[in-house]
Amino acid sequence: MTPQNANSAIVVNEMDFSYGKSIALKGIQMEITRNEITAFIGPSGCGKSTLLRCFNRMNDLIPGAKVTRGGIWIDGVDIHSPDIDVVELRRGMGMVFQKSNPFPRTIYENIAYGPRILGEKRKEVLDSIVEKSLRGAALWDEVKDRLKESAFGLSGGQQQRLCIARATAVNPAIILMDEPCSALDPIATARVEELILEMKKNYTIVIVTHNMQQAARVSDRTAFFYLGELIEYDSTAKIFSNPSLKRTENYITGRFG
Amino acid sequence: MQGAHILKDFDQAISVLRGEVLAMAACARHNLERAIQALLSRNVELANAVIADDDEVDELERRIDKLGMDILVRFHPMATDLRTVISSMKISMNLERISDHATGIAKRAKKISNSAELQDTTLIEPLYTLADNLLRDSISAYSDHNSELGASLHRRDKELDKLHREVTAILGSRIEQTTGRSQDYLHLILIVRSLERVGDLATNIGEDSVFLDSARDLRHVKNRDLGQEH
Repeated sequence: MTPQNANSAIVVNEMDFSYGKSIALKGIQMEITRNEITAFIGPSGCGKSTLLRCFNRMNDLIPGAKVTRGGIWIDGVDIHSPDIDVVELRRGMGMVFQKSNPFPRTIYENIAYGPRILGEKRKEVLDSIVEKSLRGAALWDEVKDRLKESAFGLSGGQQQRLCIARATAVNPAIILMDEPCSALDPIATARVEELILEMKKNYTIVIVTHNMQQAARVSDRTAFFYLGELIEYDSTAKIFSNPSLKRTENYITGRFG
Repeated sequence: MQGAHILKDFDQAISVLRGEVLAMAACARHNLERAIQALLSRNVELANAVIADDDEVDELERRIDKLGMDILVRFHPMATDLRTVISSMKISMNLERISDHATGIAKRAKKISNSAELQDTTLIEPLYTLADNLLRDSISAYSDHNSELGASLHRRDKELDKLHREVTAILGSRIEQTTGRSQDYLHLILIVRSLERVGDLATNIGEDSVFLDSARDLRHVKNRDLGQEH
C-alpha cells in the first residue's frame, strides 16, 4: 500500500490511464492536500478532466477506459480495489460540471433528493439539510421563499450554486469541479469563486479550469498538465510568479496553448 | 531569451515598456554626466540645460507607470512578464530620483560658479566615476536580465560609500582651513552626498534586476552571493 501523508486527501501513484488504445495519462504522481483548493490547468486534451473523473471513477462509464498502471488512493484506500463500493465512493465526492445540471424538479427537491435516497425520510431533517446546503452555497436568501419552484427558474449562476449545494447535501469530503464558471457571467463567476473560497474550510476541492486568472485567484496549489503528463505542480503563487519549468512559463504567459 | 507571445500586442507592449525604461536610463545618466561637466567646467548654460531636461525624465516616469498599468489591466501578465512590469515601474522611480540628484548637482554647480574657481572641485571626479559605473552596470543588468551583475552592485557600492566618507571629511576640514568659501564647500559636500545616493539608487536598480531575472528579493539581505544558488 502506498504510504500517505496524513494531510493528503487523494494520492495518485504513478498512474497511467487509457481510453482503449489511446493513452490519456502517463506516470501521474501527485498528492491533493486536504482542505485546500487545487487547480488543474493545461491546454485542451492534456488530461486534466480525465484525471478529475478518475477520482470518482466516472470514467468507468466510458467503454474501454481504464487505469493501466498505478492507481489512486483516497484516505489510504485503493479506490480500484475489488471490495470498493463505487456508489459509496461517489457519494463521498461531490461533482460540479461546466454546464449546470439541476434536476427537473423543485429547488427543494434538488437538494433533498440525495439525502432521501440515502434513507433520510424525516421532514425536519431534510428541511434542515436543504437550508444548511443552500446557506453554504450562498443561495438561501435568494431562494428561501421559492423552494417549491422549479430549479429551471433560477439564473445560470444561481443554478450552478444550486448544483454546488446539491453536491454538499450528502456530506462529501471532496468536491470535484470541472470548469464550473465557464458558462457564467463575470458577476456570477465572482460569486461562485467566493463560495469556493468559503467552502475550503470544510471540503477538499479540485477545480479544472481554462481560466488562469481564476486558478491564480482561488487555488492554493496548481498542477499544470500537458499531453497527458503532469509537468509541474506547486504552490499557486510559485507557479504564476516564478514557475520552475520553461514549458509551464510558456503556457501561463501565453506563449503557447 | 523567451519566445514570442501568441498575442502580438503583448510582445509589442512589453517591448515599448522596456524601451522607455532604457530611454529614461540614458536620459538620467546623460543628465548626471552633464551636471558634473557643468560643475567641473563652471558652465552655467550647461547646468541650466540639465535643470530644464529633468522634465523629460519626469514625463518618462509617468509614461512608464501608465504603460505598466495598461499591461497589467489588459494582459494579466504572469511570471517573467509580471516581474518585467513591476521591476520596470520600480526602476523608473529610481531613475527619476537619480535625475533629481543630477538637477540638484547642476543647481549647486551654478552657485559655485558665482565665486572664484575652487581646486577641490576635482575631488568629486572619482566619486562620479564610481557612481556612473554602478549606474551603467545596473542598466545592463536590467537590459540583459543579468542577476549576477545586478547582485554585485551592492558590494561595489560600499567602495563609493567609503570614498564618500573620505572626501566629505576632507571637504569638511577645508571649511575649517579656509575663510569665506564655506558655502561653496558645503555645496561640494552635498554634491558628494548626491553621488553617494546615486550609488544607492543604482544598487536598487540592480536588486530590481535580480528580481526580474530570478524572482529573488535581495533587499535588506546580508549575504547576497548568488554564486552557490545557480
